[in-house]
Amino acid sequence: MAVIDARGLTKVFRQPDKKPGWAGSFKHVVSRTYQEKVAVDGIDLHIEPGEAVAYVGPNGAGKSTTVKLLCGILVPSAGEVRIDGLVPHEQRAAVARRIGVLFGQRTQLWWDLTVADSLATLREIYSVPETLYRSRLERFDEVLGLGDILPVTGRKLSLGQRVRADLAAALLHRPSVLYLDEPTIGLDVAVKERVRTFLRSLGDEGITVMLTSHDLQDIEDVCRRLVIIDAGRIIFDGDLAALKDEFAKDRVLRLETAGPIESAELAALLPTCEVTAGEHPRAVTVRFDRFTTAAGQIVSAVGTLAELTDFQVEEPSIEDVIRRVYAGELLAGAGADSDTAESDTAEPVTAGDVA
Amino acid sequence: MSALVAAPQTGAVTPVGLRARSRPYRAIARATLRSVLAFRLQFALSLLSVLFQLVAMLTVWHALLSARSIPGFTWPQMEAYLLVGFSSGTLVSTMSDFRVSYRIRTGQVALDLVKPVDYQSARLAETAGSLVTELASICFVWAVMLAFGLRIALPPTPYLALFAVSFALIALLKFSVIYLTGLLCFWTKNYVGLQWCRLAVTSVLSGAVVPLSLLPHWLGTTAQWLPFAGMSSTPGLILIGDATGWYAVRLVAVQLAWAIALWLIARLAWRGALRQLTIHGG
Repeated sequence: MAVIDARGLTKVFRQPDKKPGWAGSFKHVVSRTYQEKVAVDGIDLHIEPGEAVAYVGPNGAGKSTTVKLLCGILVPSAGEVRIDGLVPHEQRAAVARRIGVLFGQRTQLWWDLTVADSLATLREIYSVPETLYRSRLERFDEVLGLGDILPVTGRKLSLGQRVRADLAAALLHRPSVLYLDEPTIGLDVAVKERVRTFLRSLGDEGITVMLTSHDLQDIEDVCRRLVIIDAGRIIFDGDLAALKDEFAKDRVLRLETAGPIESAELAALLPTCEVTAGEHPRAVTVRFDRFTTAAGQIVSAVGTLAELTDFQVEEPSIEDVIRRVYAGELLAGAGADSDTAESDTAEPVTAGDVA
Repeated sequence: MSALVAAPQTGAVTPVGLRARSRPYRAIARATLRSVLAFRLQFALSLLSVLFQLVAMLTVWHALLSARSIPGFTWPQMEAYLLVGFSSGTLVSTMSDFRVSYRIRTGQVALDLVKPVDYQSARLAETAGSLVTELASICFVWAVMLAFGLRIALPPTPYLALFAVSFALIALLKFSVIYLTGLLCFWTKNYVGLQWCRLAVTSVLSGAVVPLSLLPHWLGTTAQWLPFAGMSSTPGLILIGDATGWYAVRLVAVQLAWAIALWLIARLAWRGALRQLTIHGG
């Protein structure tokens, strides 16, 4: 059974519609008009226990709103959501025991208590038995290096320490679902790596992780499944690697030769590739589809024209892929640019086999 | 991969029974007490400011009472009455205004919604935590006053018991009033104005500055029936023996009725605020 189950989830905010200037303000007092803003628009989401899902989208796409709906912090305007079969905004306490949250900018630690005292208080709030509490703290110490920061008062924690302590706080009661909102924001490389390794390990314990992040490295390191949201709608939901294979077929090969090389001559030899001249006469750039052309083919073609001295292969990053999805290039069913997407199912696009 | 993972064993038990169910709240109260103790200097300063007020009031009333007699209040009675006023001003004062509104103004309240505790009870638990230090400082000031020659003619034991009940109700009443004012932040987005307003209304209508019987008749009698009277006047009058018999019982009954009513009104207000927050997005 899906641990997160959302069907037709919709959230409409009502915003006061104020016209500019005094006239507008006055008019607003007399007759209020409101504008409806659809933040989340009919989202379907089914996530199994132990899955790690990245939830990405441009600013204002509805990511945070979705997470708040899934936590019960917001009540949906339409549709329904269930966490472990429970409705979050109706069975708050029961759902609260099943979820953990880490909102990058907020902390659930007590400012004036040490981390150890904060965690001990949370242990009581969630009624975690003493033995389990001990073993969990030990584990957090191993992977997050929690031991050093236990005696530190909340207000004195550095950002990296705070995020580690908050991660421990969010996982203390062993939730079924962990929501992470920008967990590595502002962290240095070493701590980031540590946090990611830890997050990766949660899946093995059956903890579902839902991660919203702008840091695409987070996503690639932690998640296998990717959900992309734009303007309140899911525009992609599927396997991250499959998406990359599907949409990041192109590779770019930059070549340098001992003598000058004519790009037109090379293009004639490589009809399926896109050949462009490089920065200087001895350089050339070839863009090719890695499924139809092998890099070796290109190298040997170049060898017939000039002596190869150096080359470099560029692989598109997940960043490029997601950027292209945002830009609508990879949107199936949305009409216009559906040439790159092979799937002819209605949106959202599904790539690969997720379950 | 994931479908094979067995249902997670969280080890978290749903609490059953009063003791287990009160456990989170006791922990919250302890955490608050510890936090308050971390602010020793601030606490000492706020105590100092209330003490200053007390001394000023004692001086003013001493001058007034030596110039002419005021019906119902001899100087020793007035001294004791003002001390009760000081005590009620100290109870539920340490940052409770700040604490209640802070969570709302900063949006921290969103995190409270994902905790398995009742919001209002959790805030009450915080108040209870800081009550410990407040009671300690009240005892300290009473001891000092007694050492410096304060003489209270204690009322008979039944009245002392009634006083104790009445004094305890101050905490609950004050909590509800502060909590309700704090909730208004959901709509006003500003707290300072609300706090000043509450302080002004409370200090006049509770009789902490001027006994209610000395206010204009219409105001004094109205105030008797308002919740604010229970925040200082009622226990004060019982202690100095000005309220006796069924009149004293009636005053405490009014106090109790308001304590219960305000608690329930606060619940309704929270429900409204929650709707504002969860449906309109705060």
